[in-house]
Amino acid sequence: MRDVYVAGIGITTFTRLEYPLVEIASYASMMALKDAGVTEVDQIYVANMGAPRVNHQTALASAVADSLSLLPAGAAAIENGPASGAAAIKAGFQAVASGMDDVVLVTGVERMREVNNLEATDFVATLTHPLTEYIYGVTLPAHAAMFARLYMEKYGVTERHLAMVGVKNQNAALNNVWAHLQQGITLEGILDSPEAMTNNPYVAEPLRFFDACPVSDGGAAIILVSKEKAQELGRPMIRLSGLGQATDTHAVFEREEPTDLLAVRKAAKDAYEMSGLSPEEIDVAELHDAFTILEIAESEEVGFFPKGEGHIALEKGETALGGKIPINVGGGLKGRGHPVGATGVAQAWEIVTQLRGDGEKRQVEGAKTGLTLNFGGFGNNVVCLTFVRED
Amino acid sequence: MAREIYAYKCRLCGTMHYPFRMLCKGCKQNDFFEFDTVPLPKTGKLLTFTTVYNLPAQYEVATLGLGIVELENGMRMLGQLEIEEPEIGMAVKGSVEVVRKETYDDYYGMVFTAA
Repeated sequence: MRDVYVAGIGITTFTRLEYPLVEIASYASMMALKDAGVTEVDQIYVANMGAPRVNHQTALASAVADSLSLLPAGAAAIENGPASGAAAIKAGFQAVASGMDDVVLVTGVERMREVNNLEATDFVATLTHPLTEYIYGVTLPAHAAMFARLYMEKYGVTERHLAMVGVKNQNAALNNVWAHLQQGITLEGILDSPEAMTNNPYVAEPLRFFDACPVSDGGAAIILVSKEKAQELGRPMIRLSGLGQATDTHAVFEREEPTDLLAVRKAAKDAYEMSGLSPEEIDVAELHDAFTILEIAESEEVGFFPKGEGHIALEKGETALGGKIPINVGGGLKGRGHPVGATGVAQAWEIVTQLRGDGEKRQVEGAKTGLTLNFGGFGNNVVCLTFVRED
Repeated sequence: MAREIYAYKCRLCGTMHYPFRMLCKGCKQNDFFEFDTVPLPKTGKLLTFTTVYNLPAQYEVATLGLGIVELENGMRMLGQLEIEEPEIGMAVKGSVEVVRKETYDDYYGMVFTAA
């Protein structure tokens, strides 16, 4: 298997974007192509979850290939729920690692704000089990809420801990010009003050408004290349060193220990094994905080902290910028936004930015290794990636 | 006749499934028609729950109670809750009711109340 490097990255602002879906994907891609210094690619993978349903467009990858004048490159769209982004990176990795392709463009894109909030919530809920979950009106916030309640009961996580994740990540987004939320928040404002219930109402008890990521439009792209090509292009040598993907039961209630996220555990284990890294050796991480509880649970399942102690590490500031393992320094899904198909690629974008030392105010000093965790379904399809800077 | 929700029991190895699987998760041997349907019990205890305020389209109610119930045979299911103040561990009993209405279809599922 050949080594695979990230030679270019690009992103759009995550927000409500009044542009056609293909243009959002193309804009991020153009930035990545320019960053890498390439005008031709062998293969294009477009990660997207909702184009056929939300934007009334199918065969997205063909449209992107033409829009970018990259013909006759191969192109395919990858739909893998909220883990579409990292799944597309996996496809790109395999294309280069196998020796079939030398330059692959991976673009993630979503335009969810084209429909109203109720339709967007329903669209995401279609990933749940149709006969035993969806028909009951289950939404992703509902799943996260039931999971959070179990976590609270079992490990002593409180609504304050959840709010602390929200404050950390949303304020971190202030250091990221591409992030959706550009408004600082405080525990006082969302939890302690008399106005907190108005500012921060429940969306699915015990989760409140500020425990959930926003619904965003946006795109992100990376260029994956072989070692020879990376050396030729002369960009910083960032190697995609580890990759793991795992699945879990479709119906969440079937899991033997409902507070375990076994697919996260397995995906991370495989990524560590492949890269030869241990959790202690990771300098910066992007976890999938679609809901605040998930950052806490995932920080345990990827091995940063023992099970049930993620919230204690959070309290001590170990997951903040300057802490032992800074998590979501660019805002995470909570602050950056969560255009579902784009998220996995945006996570890689952030890690590559960090490993290049381009993080500016959010830079993790001397970061050489990074990890992304892209969480699909409610933990039933998870992709973990590790990146290493080689000098 | 009381409506039921069914679990699927593998005819080869006896493994119970809910939801249905095309291939048995126990023996991985059978074909999809080699299951017997077994009604799920309607009593159990509440494992976790939530009240949802931000509902998908089609729901014309302000809030919706949802919970995961551990049934008396040890299997679990998700259902809607009609319980004023739910608590983890409380005993609940279910009945099969309409849980979702769409333009031409009514979907039936389990609705739990305090036992």
